[in-house]
Amino acid sequence: MCSMSTSPSEASSVAADYFDGRTARAHKVSLTLSSDALLVQGEDIRRSEPLSALRVSEPMGAAPRLISFSDGAHCEVRDHALFAVLLARSGYTDSLVVRLQQYWRAALVSVAVTIAALVAGYVWGLPALSEWIAFKVPEPMLAELGHGTLQFLDRAVFKPSELSTARQQSLIKTFNRLVSPDGTKTQHAIHFRKGRSMGANALAIPDGTIVVTDELVKLATDDEEIIAVLAHELGHLNRRHSLRMLIQSSIVAFVVAWYVGDVSSVAAGLPVLLLQARYSREHELEADRFGAAILKANGIAPRRLGDMLLKLEIAHRTRQGDTHPREPNSISDYYASHPATEERIKALAQ
Amino acid sequence: MTTVIQHGEEVRPFEFTGSGGEYFRIWIVNLALTILTLGIYSAWAKVRRLQYFYRNTTIAGSSFDYHGNPMAILKGRVIGILLLVGYNVMGGAHWGLGLIALALLLSIMPWLIQRSLRFKLAYSSYRGLRFRFTGSLGGAYQTFLLWPIVGYITLFILTPMAHREIKAYQHNNSHFGDTVFSFDAGVGKFYGVYLKALGMVLLAGFAIGLTFALLTPVLSIFIPDGTERDKASYIGWIFFVIMGFYFLLFLFIGPWFSARMQNLVWNHTALGPHAFQSDVRARDLFWIYLTNFLGILLTLGFYKPFADIRLARYRLAHTALRAQSDLDEFIASQENAVSALGEETADVFNVDISF
Repeated sequence: MCSMSTSPSEASSVAADYFDGRTARAHKVSLTLSSDALLVQGEDIRRSEPLSALRVSEPMGAAPRLISFSDGAHCEVRDHALFAVLLARSGYTDSLVVRLQQYWRAALVSVAVTIAALVAGYVWGLPALSEWIAFKVPEPMLAELGHGTLQFLDRAVFKPSELSTARQQSLIKTFNRLVSPDGTKTQHAIHFRKGRSMGANALAIPDGTIVVTDELVKLATDDEEIIAVLAHELGHLNRRHSLRMLIQSSIVAFVVAWYVGDVSSVAAGLPVLLLQARYSREHELEADRFGAAILKANGIAPRRLGDMLLKLEIAHRTRQGDTHPREPNSISDYYASHPATEERIKALAQ
Repeated sequence: MTTVIQHGEEVRPFEFTGSGGEYFRIWIVNLALTILTLGIYSAWAKVRRLQYFYRNTTIAGSSFDYHGNPMAILKGRVIGILLLVGYNVMGGAHWGLGLIALALLLSIMPWLIQRSLRFKLAYSSYRGLRFRFTGSLGGAYQTFLLWPIVGYITLFILTPMAHREIKAYQHNNSHFGDTVFSFDAGVGKFYGVYLKALGMVLLAGFAIGLTFALLTPVLSIFIPDGTERDKASYIGWIFFVIMGFYFLLFLFIGPWFSARMQNLVWNHTALGPHAFQSDVRARDLFWIYLTNFLGILLTLGFYKPFADIRLARYRLAHTALRAQSDLDEFIASQENAVSALGEETADVFNVDISF
């Protein structure tokens, strides 16, 4: 910026632009420090201002330092080296935050704090917030959310059930006779379908629909096992899991889109997919606990849900032509959208 | 009075001196402080962030400055959060009540936008003179409520017109000292940009659809047996490819639209007799957007400050003022000059709502 011919120690004044706050005219001035005042001298400017009446802007890289006067006038100083000497002599010290901003070590600590906060927000904050919002959603809106899902699945995957109406009715009746451990009722309607490519499966749709495939009914050794799966699915409905997942992914998508800015929301959706896997694990375990509580209250061993889970796991592996049981505790377990069945079975056996 | 001396036109480019590494440290330290103070420090962080960008922006040898008061910004944020909480409480009590709250919130939006514009300009300065926004409240309702509704009703046919109204409202009501900004882009130019963008979207959609249609019979040969499962995974894969195409499409059309819009708006904006000029290129912006996006993705967001600096540097380097005379000649009469003390006594509604 300025010529380096004058060494800082012998510098007595700093060049600056002075603006009076009334016109945009830049006055070339020199700034000199007297005992307790700043002297501004230029062709047509001469003012002396006590240091206590001045405000000096924070250092911000190549940006000029600004000295503001109480009447709206200000000086822009671009000779940072000389100005630093002047400031030091005036006894000026930077604020703590400004000093922190200059060190990479402080930046590193800040990165650690930020990551810790992000992780905590993702692991605890996000699920808690989504749960809170999910239970604020009124029932009619919930029905609206699941509307059309079964019709869509009927067209895309399912075929009508081959079970007799009597068999279907007896299963529904048995399940509805169960007492709930805390007296709460969960709105639901059970439907049977031929699962085809979906195989032995059961799923819960937010509007209260529980779909059970014929294949699952055939896989079960007795009705208790089917009831156990239904209790698990009722857990998904009761805890509003689908809705919570929807809210969670919406929040993540919104935050990412807001943060990344200028790129389309399609792109913002990509990281969301990666962040999604973790949650269904918690949800499966929660639905297991809910199901286990119902079974216990009705004199059925929660172990029966575990038995059924094992059968489903084996059935699905056979379909995929995989005869080797998976190693527990492997990394793939962690990323799996279903928690390792072993872990769930163990929890249910307790 | 100052006499206007004709020097002839001189193009004064904007220069940006911000650096990524430096801004990163400011950004991260202030972010950590915001986290540690449960968000309260965010107002101070915002002021510092804006000051970094303003003060590092230079034209004709002088910098801009930002004078926003963190307390006013904090106040604005508290009001914003209270509005959200109020909305949620009402919505929680009864969903019909929630709808009323939503309608109320939407109906005060134009007022909030007008206030924010006033705040932003009133606390921006160049060479000691403040900017000012004088758009009326009626104008805000017309621009930010009536026109968007008209856009929806006409199935977006009048959206380019609504967009023009927003820019005209913003620029025609802005002042620098005693000098007023003006905006003179015609509706036709806005339609031009919108129609070209629409054309590109349709063309790309058609091309992708055609490729898909041609590729499906070819690819289906390689599927050994048409079991339901294989078909499902094949369709899923195709869907993923289409999503990828669309992603690239938006990645390209987004910057194109943004570049053309910036050029259109600033090439038709003037400050008194001085016209602005902007020559942002779509392909440059595309490259910056793409690399910024990848950088942010790969660093889990920590590249953001570098990305912001890059984008600001590019946009400013491609904007200039065609000065018709010396920039020394702007003045602010007494009532328009805001003293350094004046800003401390911001009235109750002088808040910045924008997050």
